[in-house]
Amino acid sequence: MKKKLIALGLVVAMLFALTACGGSNGDEGASSTSSSSEATGSTAEKVQFVVPYDEDPGTADVAKTTEFYALPLNMFDRLVESVTVAPGKSELVPGLAETWEVSDDGLVYTFHLRKGALFQNGDEVKAEDVYFTFDRMLDPATEGLNTDFFDMISGAEARMNGEADSTEGIKIVDDYTLEITLDEPFGPFVAGLATPAGSVYCKKAVLEAGDQFGIDPALTVGSGPFKLAEWTVNDKIVLEAFDNYWGGRAQYDELVLKIVPDAETARMLFESGEIDVFNCDMARSQIPYFESNDKWKELIVSGPRVGVYYICLNQSIEPLGDVRVRKALQMAIDRENMLAQMFYGKGQLVNGIMPPGLYGYNSDLPEIPYDPEAAKALLAEAGYPDGFAFEVAQETDSPNTLKINEIIQSDLAKIGVDVTITQLDESTFFGIRKTGELPSYYSSWSADFNDPDNFIYTFFTEKNAVSRSFNYVNADIQQKIEDARIMTNAEERIATYQEIEKTIVHDDAAWIPLFELDHLFVVQPYVKNYTVAWNGWSDQSYYSIQIEK
Amino acid sequence: MRYILKRLLTTIPIIIGVSFLLYVMLNIVPGDPVALMMGEHINPDTIERVRARMNLDDPLLLRFVKYLLDALHGDFGYSYKLKREVSTLIWQAFPNTLILAVSGALVSWIIGIPAGIISAVKKNTWIDYAVMTFALIGVSMPVFWAGLLGQYFFGLKLQWLPISGFDGLNIKYIIMPAIVLGWSAAATIARLTRSSLLEVMSSDYIRTAREKGLLRHQVVIKHALKNAFLPVITVMTIQVASLLSGAVITETIFGIPGIGRIAVSAIQTRDMPLLQGSVMFATVLIILGNLLADILYGFIDPRIKYH
Repeated sequence: MKKKLIALGLVVAMLFALTACGGSNGDEGASSTSSSSEATGSTAEKVQFVVPYDEDPGTADVAKTTEFYALPLNMFDRLVESVTVAPGKSELVPGLAETWEVSDDGLVYTFHLRKGALFQNGDEVKAEDVYFTFDRMLDPATEGLNTDFFDMISGAEARMNGEADSTEGIKIVDDYTLEITLDEPFGPFVAGLATPAGSVYCKKAVLEAGDQFGIDPALTVGSGPFKLAEWTVNDKIVLEAFDNYWGGRAQYDELVLKIVPDAETARMLFESGEIDVFNCDMARSQIPYFESNDKWKELIVSGPRVGVYYICLNQSIEPLGDVRVRKALQMAIDRENMLAQMFYGKGQLVNGIMPPGLYGYNSDLPEIPYDPEAAKALLAEAGYPDGFAFEVAQETDSPNTLKINEIIQSDLAKIGVDVTITQLDESTFFGIRKTGELPSYYSSWSADFNDPDNFIYTFFTEKNAVSRSFNYVNADIQQKIEDARIMTNAEERIATYQEIEKTIVHDDAAWIPLFELDHLFVVQPYVKNYTVAWNGWSDQSYYSIQIEK
Repeated sequence: MRYILKRLLTTIPIIIGVSFLLYVMLNIVPGDPVALMMGEHINPDTIERVRARMNLDDPLLLRFVKYLLDALHGDFGYSYKLKREVSTLIWQAFPNTLILAVSGALVSWIIGIPAGIISAVKKNTWIDYAVMTFALIGVSMPVFWAGLLGQYFFGLKLQWLPISGFDGLNIKYIIMPAIVLGWSAAATIARLTRSSLLEVMSSDYIRTAREKGLLRHQVVIKHALKNAFLPVITVMTIQVASLLSGAVITETIFGIPGIGRIAVSAIQTRDMPLLQGSVMFATVLIILGNLLADILYGFIDPRIKYH
């Protein structure tokens, strides 16, 4: 019995040690949470704007993420900012750079920094910080993911390959002047710097923080309107208004990103007033409910998404190598029906790659008709009178995509094409896609910056056509894509992009354009000045919002 | 004593085996964490460069050995997605899961055991049927459904409890998830207690005890329960161990930042270091849960001896 008691004691001690360990670490987390809740309690009058976020973004550092931009857009500034001037319309305005010029040959950009703009640690923003931030992105030790906004700078390639210790093309002229030289002219360079990838960091803070920059609130410093104050992983992120922001303090005290992975929970939290905005992308099926509800119908804010939904056709998988087959598929999908069934008609059909609202959008493209009979005839001409087996891939955790694919399946069945839907986990999906071997798939792309390059180059250069599993080959067009990048005459450049687009979609049928969708949000009655970002992103700057409780 | 040490030693090869199997499985399926990190913004050059920097192109076995050596020094690596040390993430999430698991278990015991006893004692009466129907609903109703109903009625409509969220030991936030989690576990325990107790109640020694003139409740509590409890304890300890390794759905619905959320996010994003860490953590908990069950047997039934 004695032995048993000792044994039991040992086990209890062991479990206690285990939980105590957890407890001690957890205490830190708990204390930070409770201190914050104390803080919240003691300053109960703090005005908050609470936004739901469906997963923890992990970091605010744009060198480490390419998709979670709510934090960088609110914590950091860029040299130039892209602001929404009307639904679906943007303008480049001065950010940390008050003015900038481009040399006549389009190679040298000179940025004149705003004097007196402060980082949240009190230091002034200087050209050295900008140099450091851009060079850090290219430094191979950073493992930066957003290098493609900087790789056109002279010396960027050598820096990325580890052959140089600095980026030759970025020069600090003085504390407030920075000169950037490109290898070749690149029209959308400034627009690219206005994306979250161009966020400017404080050199001193980044060096002190090391790998904790963008993660640890105490060590993360920006010059933006909000400062990172608290981060509880998978729970919430609190940002405080920065009193000395150069553009003036935000009109409320705290911006809170509440992590809510479940859409239904998010809707209930919104209805009970615990969150201030509901993103209808989280649950599109709720759109009719909000639209018919007396309390909410006037509080819906909507804007176009400068983006396009499309079907990628992998031409290396037969019979998709035959242009007649691809044209038949284009004509066999009832896009109008898909838009009505899945998205309550909230959007418009597109017939190209560049969506309405994008600089260079061509509204004169011929319409792709829904014509199953003509599609059948084309298939017969191509030697497939009885259709063929067609595989469509998608990610497993996307029920909306599955519904779309089922509509595609049913539409194509009418012309004899037998569609199999293959579901892959996200990692496998992207892992196979980059090899060029992913079957055809439905997806979307919205603008990072307002330029055709962001759409055409992204999908159809020789390398990108493979890494996105299009396997589109047209040497002439692909050369034109490279040429258009370095053109300095704006009109000529746009005309070239429109010609490229027409060939890819209407002659080569390498892409099935579907539609552009509106992005709907519902806000609480006390939230004023909420606008949908020009590109329709869920992530945007919340600086100009007003809370009138 | 020696038995416990022996059992603890056997956990080492189990943990290494589990982590090796997991490592191999995660690496042989197609997919690429760097491609996933970039998602739609795929850039083949960046992917290759970052893969090389992260040593993802080294041979599998070499990477596993490196991982194991680092793990022995307490370094479980960095999460690809959450950009933090795996050990920090797990230890920060564990207290939240612990609170949820303990409160869920308490609810299940407080409801399950008395319900099972009452049901057995009042066999084939309306009380038995009522309790067993309650248990059947608990077992059959998916946790997410019970959770959503709870949120809707008690959170949104009646506004008695918060819809979602977590605030340490603040009971307001724990009640609903604990009941949702505890109900289905209570149902299992109630059914098991009932059947086990009924079996014991028909044994000879119970009849003898009754014939000796002992009161019914004395027989049930002092004699029958002790023997009927063996299978119940097994289930209870394993339930607690598995609750501790994360109640994924409950944590997701109620926004509790626990181990389950971490594990799911690791699976979805092929976050290998985080997944490896959380599975190893769960493995240790399950092993300890089993060990605890075995030791408790010895206390309840003195005939069981371990060598």
